[in-house]
Amino acid sequence: MVERISFHDEIRNNQIKSFFLVIVIFFFFVLLGYVIALALDPGYFFIIMIFSIIFSLSYILITYYNSGKIAIASVKAKEASHTEHRMLYHAVENMSIASGMPMPKVYVMESEQINAFASGRDPKNSVICVTTGALKKLSKGELEGVIAHEMGHVANYDIKFMTLTAVMVGLISIIAQIFLRSLWFRSDRDNRTGIIILVIAVLMAILAPLFAQLVSFAISRKREYSADATAVKFTRYSPGLKNALVKIKKEVVPEKDKKRYSKALAPLFMADPYKKKIQNLFSTHPPIDERIKKLERM
Amino acid sequence: MAAGYLWFIIILVLLIAIIFIYYFNRFVILGNRIDNSLSQIDVQLRKRADLVPNLVKTVEGYAKHEKKIMTEVTNARKALLSAKTLPDKMKAGNQLQNALKTIFAIAENYPQLKANENFLQLQKELAAIEDKIAYSRQYYNDSILTFNNSVKTFPGAFFARLYGQKHKEFLKIPTEMKAVPKVEF
Repeated sequence: MVERISFHDEIRNNQIKSFFLVIVIFFFFVLLGYVIALALDPGYFFIIMIFSIIFSLSYILITYYNSGKIAIASVKAKEASHTEHRMLYHAVENMSIASGMPMPKVYVMESEQINAFASGRDPKNSVICVTTGALKKLSKGELEGVIAHEMGHVANYDIKFMTLTAVMVGLISIIAQIFLRSLWFRSDRDNRTGIIILVIAVLMAILAPLFAQLVSFAISRKREYSADATAVKFTRYSPGLKNALVKIKKEVVPEKDKKRYSKALAPLFMADPYKKKIQNLFSTHPPIDERIKKLERM
Repeated sequence: MAAGYLWFIIILVLLIAIIFIYYFNRFVILGNRIDNSLSQIDVQLRKRADLVPNLVKTVEGYAKHEKKIMTEVTNARKALLSAKTLPDKMKAGNQLQNALKTIFAIAENYPQLKANENFLQLQKELAAIEDKIAYSRQYYNDSILTFNNSVKTFPGAFFARLYGQKHKEFLKIPTEMKAVPKVEF
């Protein structure tokens, strides 16, 4: 008899781990700023900082408050209709009742593969988007499992968390870019320590965005497990989501269909839209077999 | 020196006050969540009851001899609408559900009724409401569980006694419903 996983523990575990991941990103961010400050002349530093603060603040605010709309627009999804997508609306209504959360806005995007994502900054401003492939290929119980998974992202505040991470990752790469460009205007300082600091700063500016990207992928992978756990809490019926994942695993998707998905949005989806077989640091999703195995034990 | 002690006492008192307020609010929030989920069950039960007259009318058109089950459904609906307490509502709700099941079983003998557009529509809608009732019950019990956990574990238990909060009863779900959780169609 395999020991059953309590979903409460699963949720708590994942939340602690992701919290530490964010702390790591944050410290890296501070360190980056510090090294850049050392490497540049104070005079230029302040001018650059004023520009980058104004820029990054507006960047954060705009993306944070419009994350749902941006995501929906970038996949060209349309709002689901109450007559045409009755089963979808029932599934979302059911899960909104089971989770005690407000009803999210429901969208449908054109794609042959089974997939879905949730976005928005909090449960009151959440959106859920499902592919036409999912509506065609999934049974009622499976669709409910998929919706429960997305509601799980909403309930665990993943959507807020993922939005914040995406904003931070974007910001780190913007700051790194600004710094690298600003080197052209740097006044010459010919002492040794100055050059060493400069080399470190340039290395960090190049590596920081990459590092931030890896951390955000790691967070995304962790979040999928916790959303699966929460989904079972909502439906009390793990075979629904499990069977949906089995169908996702088995389906063959034409290359053309994969091009509908932008790289930036891929981590949001419930399953890897590119169907990559190899697992590594750059994977946005955990291995699907692992998820199926965990669901079987719940 | 005296001023230092004073500050220490002020901060301590403030801290204790915050803890007292926190637990007071916690019980209020969790209690409200239970009330809210209860009204959600109510909404779904009422929605189902509202569909009954329409269903009875449709079925009567084809199955005139099934008087007994018709009155049963109508009575169960009346009992549900007049029920005031939660156990009464649940009892009437289960009664209505069983009566509806019988109607749909009887409909199998009337091919014309089974093919009726209106009847099919009502059947689908009732099945959807059935799911929602099950989920709203589940959420109600989830809310009770959260509430009871915070009433029974330390330090919540201390404040629960102070504020006169007692643990609440779970909603009993009929055994036959547990056996068939979801209907696929």
